Amino acid sequence: MGILDEIKESIIAMKKTEAIEFTQKAIDEGLAAEEVLNKALIPAMSTVGDQYEEGIKFIPEMLMSAKAMMGTLEILRPILTKSGQKSKGKIVLGTVEGDVHDIGVKLVGMMLEGAGLDVVVLGADTSKEEFLEAVQEHNASILGLSALLTTTMAGMKEVIDFLKEKGVRDKVKIMVGGATLNQRFADEYGADGFAPDAAQACVLAKRLLDEQSKQRSPAL
Amino acid sequence: MYESKTTEVTPMERMMAALNGQKTDRTPVHVYPRWAPLEYLGLTFKETWDDPDLWVKAQILGQERYQYDCVIDYDMMGPVEEFIGTKLKYPVNNVPMVKDPVIKTKEDMKKANWKLDPRKDGNMPKVLYVIRRLKEELIKRGHGKQQVPIMTWGSCPARTCACLTGFDRWFEIIIEDPDWAQELMELALPTWLEMVKAEIEAGADTVWVNDPVSAADTISRADYENLCQPMERRFIEAIRRETGANITMHPCGNWHDRMDLVAQNQADCYFLGPMDIRLCVDKITEQNKAGNACCKAINGNIGAATPSTTDGKTVLPYASTMNQSTADEIEGECKEVIKAVEEEGDLRCVLGPNCWAPAKVPPINYDTVVYAARKYGQYDGKPQA
Repeated sequence: MGILDEIKESIIAMKKTEAIEFTQKAIDEGLAAEEVLNKALIPAMSTVGDQYEEGIKFIPEMLMSAKAMMGTLEILRPILTKSGQKSKGKIVLGTVEGDVHDIGVKLVGMMLEGAGLDVVVLGADTSKEEFLEAVQEHNASILGLSALLTTTMAGMKEVIDFLKEKGVRDKVKIMVGGATLNQRFADEYGADGFAPDAAQACVLAKRLLDEQSKQRSPAL
Repeated sequence: MYESKTTEVTPMERMMAALNGQKTDRTPVHVYPRWAPLEYLGLTFKETWDDPDLWVKAQILGQERYQYDCVIDYDMMGPVEEFIGTKLKYPVNNVPMVKDPVIKTKEDMKKANWKLDPRKDGNMPKVLYVIRRLKEELIKRGHGKQQVPIMTWGSCPARTCACLTGFDRWFEIIIEDPDWAQELMELALPTWLEMVKAEIEAGADTVWVNDPVSAADTISRADYENLCQPMERRFIEAIRRETGANITMHPCGNWHDRMDLVAQNQADCYFLGPMDIRLCVDKITEQNKAGNACCKAINGNIGAATPSTTDGKTVLPYASTMNQSTADEIEGECKEVIKAVEEEGDLRCVLGPNCWAPAKVPPINYDTVVYAARKYGQYDGKPQA
């Protein structure tokens, strides 16, 4: 098994220490950080997402794999930054105001980082003003809103309406998720997409990024 | 039009009979009425938390307005976890949520307040006060006879632990250190058992317990079977032994792949989450027939009456059906649920949503559930109870 496979398998097997050791070894042996990211981390998290979808892995296993992957990113991130590696896109994530459940955004954040995106996780109980500030400050391509409760999910519409009011809505794609949400709510709130779980959130984010880049760079 | 046979049976008789597997005039309705009464009176949750008599007033008037068959105390408030040491956030119009879990390391277990007296510690007496006041008011309004039952609530050990450690940490502990998870649940079980005993002593007529952290979309069946399920069963059996109360369990979320295990928790009734109703009825009936379960009723589960979802993977909508659907759609769902639960004859249906009825449900949708229970849930022949 090559070193990239060793990293990938360690992440899938939730072995953080091994994943970090193999990643360090790969860098020491001269592999480019970008290659490690693209050929080990991204496929590993993609497999973990698929296994969740198939009912092979569950939230604890996903969390552990994501943490192993985040450990390897600690090694890769400074190198990627130094080499001017261009991010695949920037995404701001948070749970809406009044809702302190943040396991979903944390998990989605880690999965998206594993997919090569720049992720800013605002965490739980985030106000619409904080979302606006973060979107502007980071020039985010995507804003991801989460809510677990039927009583707090309407906060997503408040954020979207607030961005409209401030003239920012058209500059950012908005995706929503959370256990009690569905596509119908997402449409009612005016979101660009809905994902039922972390794995689907990665697929959706990639699609929205493609759409966003086409909008930002229209064909002449 | 249909002929109503509902006039001589009280909600108390109807609900308690159904929870015991018996028939009265018709299927009772229980919607876990947190938001309907608050919205009916234009109150926020925080207002009623600050003034418990307002909660009592809302519960009484809400039941009189909508005619469902059960009232509740504050429910799902976390007063036990709060006293143990977890810091809660109190939003303006929602129930408290975990803000700062008390247990981050094993060392933190020593600083937790595991010994508690619900009659005097923290916010627990406030919950007991509400139950006592509900009882008084219901007896007064029933001219000396309580006509509407009070359902109280208890937290299954896995949920309590998740509130004490934080949800993501709890999931890590399950994988990294199952022995620690077991130790935590052993400590958590008696805390909520004490609270439930005090709630029943204060006047609650029945209890529901829930577990939102062991569903098929959170942990594996093996982890549930080996860790959480045995503790749930012990919790439920302890409540029955200590209080004699009838117990409803709410497996919150999608539990399709483990309903056989859930049924063995020995609850009298299961308040089903967003799961296929026929699949659940089949699995529970199977366990009943094998002598592994003693389920008498199923509460739920409007929004999940879709016959094509028995694959166990299809994501069904949560209680949002209640505020997204039309009255006609709700009526159709109710009809399907009653039919699915009652057609074999062994289980009673307690009609309701597939999780907490959410905020901002159009009043007509609640009315429709009660209407549907009266229309489709009438039993032929003489009532058993």
